[in-house]
Amino acid sequence: MRRSRAAYPWTWRVMDGLESLAARLWPARFEKGLPYLMLAPAVLLVGILVLGLVQIGDSSLRVLDTSTFLMSEDLTLANYQRALTESFFATVAGRSLLGSVIVTIVTLIFAFPYAYLMVRTPSSALRKFLLVALFLPFFIGQVVRAYGWLIILGNQGMVNEALGLVGVPPMRLLYNYPAVLFGLVQYMLPFAVLMLAPALTAIPAELESAASSLGANWLRTFRHVVLPLARPGLVGAGLVVVTLSLTDFAIPAILGGGSQDFIANAIYDQFFRTSDQGMGATLSLMLVAVGSLLVGLVFMLFGAGTLAMTGGRK
Amino acid sequence: MTGSRSKSVVIWTFVIAALVMLSAPTIVVLGASFTAGNIITFPPEGLSLKWYGAIAQASDLRQAFIRSLIVATICTIVSIPVGTLAGIALAKYRVRFARSIQIYLLLPFTIPLIGSGIGMMLVFGNMGVLGRLWPVGIACCVINLPFMIWAVTASASNLSPDLELAAANCGAPPLQRFLYITLPAVLPGVITGSLLMFILALNEFLVSLLLVDARSVTLPVQIYNSIRSIITPDLAAISVVFIASAAIAIAVLDRLVGLDIFLKSK
Repeated sequence: MRRSRAAYPWTWRVMDGLESLAARLWPARFEKGLPYLMLAPAVLLVGILVLGLVQIGDSSLRVLDTSTFLMSEDLTLANYQRALTESFFATVAGRSLLGSVIVTIVTLIFAFPYAYLMVRTPSSALRKFLLVALFLPFFIGQVVRAYGWLIILGNQGMVNEALGLVGVPPMRLLYNYPAVLFGLVQYMLPFAVLMLAPALTAIPAELESAASSLGANWLRTFRHVVLPLARPGLVGAGLVVVTLSLTDFAIPAILGGGSQDFIANAIYDQFFRTSDQGMGATLSLMLVAVGSLLVGLVFMLFGAGTLAMTGGRK
Repeated sequence: MTGSRSKSVVIWTFVIAALVMLSAPTIVVLGASFTAGNIITFPPEGLSLKWYGAIAQASDLRQAFIRSLIVATICTIVSIPVGTLAGIALAKYRVRFARSIQIYLLLPFTIPLIGSGIGMMLVFGNMGVLGRLWPVGIACCVINLPFMIWAVTASASNLSPDLELAAANCGAPPLQRFLYITLPAVLPGVITGSLLMFILALNEFLVSLLLVDARSVTLPVQIYNSIRSIITPDLAAISVVFIASAAIAIAVLDRLVGLDIFLKSK
């Protein structure tokens, strides 16, 4: 008895038990179905999102009855008509679109040299430093970063206090359009650099040496060699930045102080201020359509990039 | 070589401007948390730790922080089995409709955050569970799930299928092969993914804002609600929690997979 237990440790018994349990729950002849079983939880979890979209679609077809504050029973397209005709929504949409285009251009102008230096520098310490400087704000979260900008740019903020020391009257640096755009640029920089870096890595440095040995100065090398080759990366980064800044909530809310609302803020207000769920849902669905279209375009043109799940090599 | 000098001058100008933009808020928040004054001024009125003492007393901030930790923990615990199984399935097996499933699983990234947040708010609202913490955890898990799956697939594709065949040849049944061969191989990916999930859930703002009520605010929402009134340094002190956790996460990530992986081209 004792000997046999030593020869067959209890861990093996446990494993055998589990093994037979697994075999009973999922017999070997279902082997083909195994990957689908493994995928099921993830599919179900993302299903919550799909369910959410369906609910948004349903709400968007109901209008708010202003006398009872209940949503109508019958379905209409009135919300969509309102969203497309009322000038308030056009103003907000125009502000967001123009903002995201400006943000994208400025972000790319700053992100390109950053990514270029990060990829080309021979010093691994500098490369690591640039990466850490990129990831730290990415992991800190938008609210804390916006809070930092409030401290720096506020009416009693550091910049104004410093200007006061040299006798310049305080300026209003926050709660205006440029402040929101500035906040968005700094929020988008890590995304843009991380999208650009792999594209720049793929460009052989020898091409640049070749161009300069043929007599091109660095500006011409950039213009005729590096930029055209980096175009997929630039377009990808640009589309990601456009989408993310178009749909951002926190930066316009905090640095815009309510006067510079983007689409996401208008949606939030429809739900929580005017309590017009139908209108809010309509705006959400339209934004989802535009946003998904843009991101879908990125994925179609470039694959999912670093987020590809096909298990590309590291 | 005046050409290369002007080139590095131009590049460094942009890089330094970008570095200032990226780091200024972090540095200022760090500095403000140590001020001795009552409001944040420049130049600072001396150093003190009194705001750290103040947040230790402030029960609303502390509770909000604990809630954020709970949300991040729920999110991570859910995402580990879900993301690991899905990641392994996509990397290891030949799945029919693999392309469609991948596109479907990328939905959390393609749908704008405000859309996902509103949708889940309606779903959880209909279920009558708004105001609890677990829906927030689940929601954070859903919107960041592609990160987890990506991390696992990346390490699973490094696993040679021969290893499992060899184990099977030695008589290991399926569950043992999974536990002793597959799982250890993808463990670095699982750890990287869970780290990302935890840190992103810890500072998730918009989805939290939509899903919490006054009794269940998480820390980012609490900070957001407070900075709209007067800016006091105790918020800076609590924000240092985020900065510290971000720094730790980066250090661990660098140790585990190396940050350079993000520079590689496909």
